[in-house]
Amino acid sequence: MSLNQFWDYLVPGVALGALYAVIAIGYTLVYGVLQLINFAHSEVFMLGGFGSLIVLTSITPAHPSALVSVLLVIVGLVVSALVGGATAFGLEKVAYRPLRRRGAPKLIFLISAIGASFFLYNLAGKLFGRDPLPMPHLYDNNVVLHLFGARVTITQLLLLGCALVMMVALDLLVNRTRLGAGIRALAQDAETASLMGVDTDRVISRTFLIGGLMGGVAGFLFGLNTQVSFTMGFNPGITAFAAAVLGGVGSIRGAMLGGLLLGLVESFDVPVFGEEWRYAAAFVVLVAVLMFRPTGILGVKLGRAA
Amino acid sequence: MLRKRLLQTAAPLVVGVLALAGCSKGGDEASADGKKVFKIAYEGPLTGESAALGAHMENGVKLAIQQANAKGDLPFTLQYVPGDDTGTADQAPAAAQKIIDDDQVIATIGPAFSAPTKAVGQLYSQANLLALTSSASSPSLTTLGFTSFLRGIPNDNAQGGGMAVYYAKKVKAKKVFLVDDKTEYGVGLSGVAEADLKKDGVQVVRESVPQKTPDYTAVATEAKNSGADALIYAGFYADAAPFAKKLKEAGFTGPKIASDGTNDKKFVELAGDASEGWLLTCPCVDPTVDPDIKKFTEDYRAAFKVDPGTYSAESFDAANLVIEQLKALGTGATREALLAAVKKADYKGLTKRYHFDDKGEFPDKAAFLYQVKDGKIVYQGDVNTLANG
Repeated sequence: MSLNQFWDYLVPGVALGALYAVIAIGYTLVYGVLQLINFAHSEVFMLGGFGSLIVLTSITPAHPSALVSVLLVIVGLVVSALVGGATAFGLEKVAYRPLRRRGAPKLIFLISAIGASFFLYNLAGKLFGRDPLPMPHLYDNNVVLHLFGARVTITQLLLLGCALVMMVALDLLVNRTRLGAGIRALAQDAETASLMGVDTDRVISRTFLIGGLMGGVAGFLFGLNTQVSFTMGFNPGITAFAAAVLGGVGSIRGAMLGGLLLGLVESFDVPVFGEEWRYAAAFVVLVAVLMFRPTGILGVKLGRAA
Repeated sequence: MLRKRLLQTAAPLVVGVLALAGCSKGGDEASADGKKVFKIAYEGPLTGESAALGAHMENGVKLAIQQANAKGDLPFTLQYVPGDDTGTADQAPAAAQKIIDDDQVIATIGPAFSAPTKAVGQLYSQANLLALTSSASSPSLTTLGFTSFLRGIPNDNAQGGGMAVYYAKKVKAKKVFLVDDKTEYGVGLSGVAEADLKKDGVQVVRESVPQKTPDYTAVATEAKNSGADALIYAGFYADAAPFAKKLKEAGFTGPKIASDGTNDKKFVELAGDASEGWLLTCPCVDPTVDPDIKKFTEDYRAAFKVDPGTYSAESFDAANLVIEQLKALGTGATREALLAAVKKADYKGLTKRYHFDDKGEFPDKAAFLYQVKDGKIVYQGDVNTLANG
């Protein structure tokens, strides 16, 4: 790999890493407020992809003009966010809240999460078919700029742009708003927070909603980048979960950093070791970091400011 | 209280009835018209990522059975049994066992894919139940000592060799980037292609990309950076399509060949523009080219409301080959007798002449080339003829 080729792998690595980061935030947020890994988050991501696919397929003309393309992308973003948000919101109501009311042990939450994940996964396979589906052709995915010789496509820019906007918005929300204060308070000490007048149920369900919105959008972007299928949640879901742990689960900025790092490792692994080692390399990095820093890179709790 | 009592009495009753229904299934049951029933099974992916490939074959088998029953000259009634192995080795044993355990099943068309075949060949052999595949093409399958496995298509030596000869002679490629999908099928096929390319003095860069990789950008970039002037993909359309997209984005412009696992219109649907110009090999002929197959295509459309796909006609042929032998054996046919008869058979099907060597291998070598043009998969001809022409 020459220096020129370095950029060829950096660009897709950053784009992929941004996507992982957005999904990882969903895991980290829920962990922050509930100390629970929402294993159904990968299905929130998958359903976001399907939601946008179905709506876009029915409205996309054969040859959209530039303006129409922009509108369609916006529609895709909004629809996938809504579907992802609604899924996560519903998930919390059905799979977690009843357990929380009864004070069920943490292990039961985990089983419930896995059950919900399997249910949604198979439901999607039944509803939408088991074959992958292509996103409709929204625009020609041209190369828009050359970064030190590396080609950067519209989809890659879109991916990176959306991820950045979402991450900045979330950072502001958590650190500057009342809801954000509630999330942080809950993360630090749920009992005290509730005694201090934080509406626990409301904060938790909104946290799910925010993670779901972002996960849904990631599903749309992923579909735009490749294709949509009922199995699409699994691999990115596991990687994003690992990213959340790598960054320090519960830490939002940690999730961003972890996602980016794993995206880069996966991309650079191909020219260095070969594609077969892709996941192995990513997980070696994960284990290596955790050996020296068991809390993850930015392993502070969500409660002590993101 | 009453409800509880009712439940207590009813529950064992229901269980009992269900158990009885279960028992009668294995018995020597006659069909509605009193004729003896023989079942022909199909094992292949009916759900999962490759379900579209599996459905084409299943329909071929179903159509053969329907037509044979409709003719009315059979001394028995044929029934169809599906065996869904999702195209994976881990689901295959359960699917095969279900088929084997059904005493009325006299033959299986399948397994459709190579990895499942490797996993269950021994099961079928122990049961003396014919497993006649219309698509599993990994060369190693006939070397594993299976006694009831027969292959109804040329193996991947033909396809892999065809790709190699086309690149070496026609394209005059210096360096080929070769990607397999880590499946039994993909690795076997690309192994053949690699060996044949090297024999012709062509340099090969080989990369294995497991199925369902979420992002093919890095491999596509590597293909571009490797300086290869042509590319081969050995795998299935669900992965070939995103790879094709990424190759286009990365700016790889050389010729690209994929194998029969990709040769499906789903590939074009998924990859869109990026599939344009891709070459696709197949040991299968194009059903629309041969006039003999026209009637088959019409019947197929009438029955399933879709066009026949990859291996539909081959599966139809395989089922008919079995039915013909079964007819000769009559109502006294056993699994053993049918297996022996099919091994010796010489049958002229729609797609080709069927006969098998002593290992169960299909002895004739042929591979055909197709190309994606204007969003359609267009038949080009025999790959060896094209390469040397």
